[in-house]
Amino acid sequence: MSLTIEQKLKHYRMSKAEYDRACELVGHPLREIEWPLFSALWSEHCSYKSSKIHLRKFYNKNARVLEAEGENAGVVDLGEGERVAFKMESHNHPSFIEPYQGAATGVGGILRDIFTMGARPIALADYLCFGEPKAPRMEYLVNGVVRGIGGYGNCVGVPTVTGQTNFHSSYNNNILVNAMAVGLFRPNDKVALSKAKGPGNLVVYVGAKTGKDGVHGASMASESFDSDSEKKKPNVQIGDPYFEKLLIESCLEVIQKDLVVAIQDMGAAGLTSSSFEMASKGQVGMEMHLDKVPLRDSSITPEEILLSESQERMLMVVEPAKFAAIQDVFAHWGLDAAVVGHILPERIVRLLWQGEVLIEIDPDILVEHPPKYERAFNPWSWKNRKADQPVADQKNETRWGTPDQASRRFITRQYDQRVGLKTVQDCEFPVALIKLPDSGRGLGIAVGCRPEIMRIDAKLGGYDSIAYPALQMACQGIQALAITDCLNFGNPEKPEIMSEFVASVEAISEMAKALDAPVVSGNVSFYNETLGQNITSTPATGLVGLRSNIEHLKASTFQAEGEQVYLVSLNLIHLHHAWGTDPSQPAQWSGTWDTAKVVKFIEQTRKLAALSKVSSLRAVSSPGVATSLLKMSLAGIGVGQESIHASEKQPNGLYQIIVSGTDLSETLPTIFVGSSVSITEIGQTRKDKACESQKLTYEKAWGKHFENLA
Amino acid sequence: MSRSVGVIRFPGTNCDRDVFEAVQMAGLKAEWLWHLDRFEAKKYRALVLPGGFSFGDYLRAGALAARSPVMDSVREAAKSGTPVLGICNGFQILCESHLLPGALVKNESLRFQDEWVDLTVVNAHKAFGSNLKSGASLKLPIAHGEGRFYASEAELKRLWDSGQVWLTYKHNPNGSLQNIAGVMSDDKNVVALMPHPERAMKAWMGSEDGQIIFKTLESIL
Repeated sequence: MSLTIEQKLKHYRMSKAEYDRACELVGHPLREIEWPLFSALWSEHCSYKSSKIHLRKFYNKNARVLEAEGENAGVVDLGEGERVAFKMESHNHPSFIEPYQGAATGVGGILRDIFTMGARPIALADYLCFGEPKAPRMEYLVNGVVRGIGGYGNCVGVPTVTGQTNFHSSYNNNILVNAMAVGLFRPNDKVALSKAKGPGNLVVYVGAKTGKDGVHGASMASESFDSDSEKKKPNVQIGDPYFEKLLIESCLEVIQKDLVVAIQDMGAAGLTSSSFEMASKGQVGMEMHLDKVPLRDSSITPEEILLSESQERMLMVVEPAKFAAIQDVFAHWGLDAAVVGHILPERIVRLLWQGEVLIEIDPDILVEHPPKYERAFNPWSWKNRKADQPVADQKNETRWGTPDQASRRFITRQYDQRVGLKTVQDCEFPVALIKLPDSGRGLGIAVGCRPEIMRIDAKLGGYDSIAYPALQMACQGIQALAITDCLNFGNPEKPEIMSEFVASVEAISEMAKALDAPVVSGNVSFYNETLGQNITSTPATGLVGLRSNIEHLKASTFQAEGEQVYLVSLNLIHLHHAWGTDPSQPAQWSGTWDTAKVVKFIEQTRKLAALSKVSSLRAVSSPGVATSLLKMSLAGIGVGQESIHASEKQPNGLYQIIVSGTDLSETLPTIFVGSSVSITEIGQTRKDKACESQKLTYEKAWGKHFENLA
Repeated sequence: MSRSVGVIRFPGTNCDRDVFEAVQMAGLKAEWLWHLDRFEAKKYRALVLPGGFSFGDYLRAGALAARSPVMDSVREAAKSGTPVLGICNGFQILCESHLLPGALVKNESLRFQDEWVDLTVVNAHKAFGSNLKSGASLKLPIAHGEGRFYASEAELKRLWDSGQVWLTYKHNPNGSLQNIAGVMSDDKNVVALMPHPERAMKAWMGSEDGQIIFKTLESIL
């Protein structure tokens, strides 16, 4: 059956203008096999066509950065021979359709981005946004996503050490599932790259066999949802973490034995993107025999082979003399390594099926020349900003026991947090800390982005998505070093969405530069829109940082009685009635953002965290000081209920910390010298019976909101 | 020359490197064994089957690993007196191999559980933690989805009567019958527990109690 151009455009999710551009570049009307290639590689998901011109603005280099954009993940030098590769990625669309597999394959995919570079994955983090607990399917989605992340991460043996879970109605029909993976290169480990090289070298396929799962996954992820998303279930990939575990071990082994020239995982758009990207990056060509690709289904067509997103597969370039050694390693792990082609000197990708040439094309056309859209946006003007200062009689509700202020134990308990013997601080802590095995230093990991700040103002929220996790790290004496991001936004064709995107990207970059923590990897997820409703713009971030040792960490809960407790507020941005009875209404704010002042406050907090007279330290979280005091009291030592009540009237500074210790009254002004801060004595730590019942409320709240998930 | 501790890896074992490291932290030599390997019965000071997801937990946790060639050698070694320790998935494999009594079924919660647990030593094992006294406490982490110890009533009675119950949970996390967290074989050469002693070797990990389990292997030459 032959389709009209219009039908094909719809099927392959391309616009007429894009089709015309493709025809012009290849010099003829698109042939049958060319359609799926353009559809996949020119999809938003693969080409970043709406975001590229803005992503270039990111501060992404300093002396520590070994690899940034263009590779599978960013690589940062920690000194002493230790390096980390890390990245964050979204799997929002598949997770909404099929939560278990969607989330599981999200974890699998981000892990492959890390070990394909030769780094051993040592930690996972997740950033999740769900709708209201009572929204349709929400309990099912929460359950499936959490099980999926655990099911995959636990089995491959990578600990999940930190994360964040948010709830808001804007995610009712479009949840966010972002996973971050961190991999470690020990002092003598090699970094592998994806640049194909050396005409005559073999193209080798390793890992799971190719099936029909995930065909058109990339273009699906580049489209808004409609009411029959359910029908897209067959587009969702199926993961096998057992296979991934074997792939991790075998790939790391061949990389460290120096047996591969180049390697890349088959992620979005599968074999198509890995082969074309490897060839284009290396400025070489590639001949590939699709009939040599190991298949799990003999009825699969060449087009489906090219677009399949079957999981746990890698493509390698190997010198012919080393192929036997490669085969030995993979055979040891029970995996096949199949030669599917070779590298050509001329810059052309030639695909064959049973001896017949299907296509010959310059890979740059697909990889380097997708359309780039300068989507309409408006210069940013602050939203919800008021000139006057907050009124004195405002009172914050603690919101204790709401979904936002409920224990996440139900989630974190399902994750293996300790496999690998490196976990110093697990999911119970505001930020994770991992012990680096060779130097003994601490590697901090935190995720960021407070959607409630994004709803107030997208630029403020962008700054905050770096500043807040950096402040949380500082409380643990960790210096933020580098950043990955996962920019989840709605429909970029709508100027108000694009404006928020641009504003937050600029803010992130400015903050990254001021902290000298470059953005070294990342992912953009657009079209988080269902039936015209866009999600809260959510630029999730992942930060890695360093600490010179893992000793003398400050507690994030009160530890001892009789200590003085102080609130230190940076006098910069104040939120008005931020967390009142109607949390759906964005708060108003006043003040003037000043990046340098925020960075200084973060640095001073890190100095504070080094003092032995400080025993606990915590960044105040969104619902204000009183809520944070309740959180700090979860270990059974509190400040007394009258102090909690009094602190409900504390102004909501965007950046505040609570510190407890001895003899701090003169120390604090010295530490924060040169910053405009307010230092307020909150009270004294003491045993408080109410802590026990407040802890119970916090722990039971989850079950109140999710009756079947207690 | 003092013998090494053999650490057995199956495809999908993921606590293998951790156990290897823990054995070394306890001052002993460790040596890898692969699922296809065969070895002489008295070659190793002790053998450890680490946790993880051998063969992806396909069919049943431990079922496929139990039928691997290396397990024939493990069986012979156990018979000749070599102490054998199973941790988590290693426990499941040893039950599936019928080297240990009982079975491990899905947690009562029907979910994976990662948490710290307090344990009571019921009967000390002669090799792994031999200096522990009956009634001693240990704090170790668990991380499993199928850790609920199950056996018939008659079998349970026999285990208690013959001193084969190694460890019990102070607060049962997973519905294990009679709070059992670890058991020994009839001849007491084979022993296993669901918690992970290798994850509790240093104070910064949250507990040092796991050291005791490995350290006492020193007395075996």
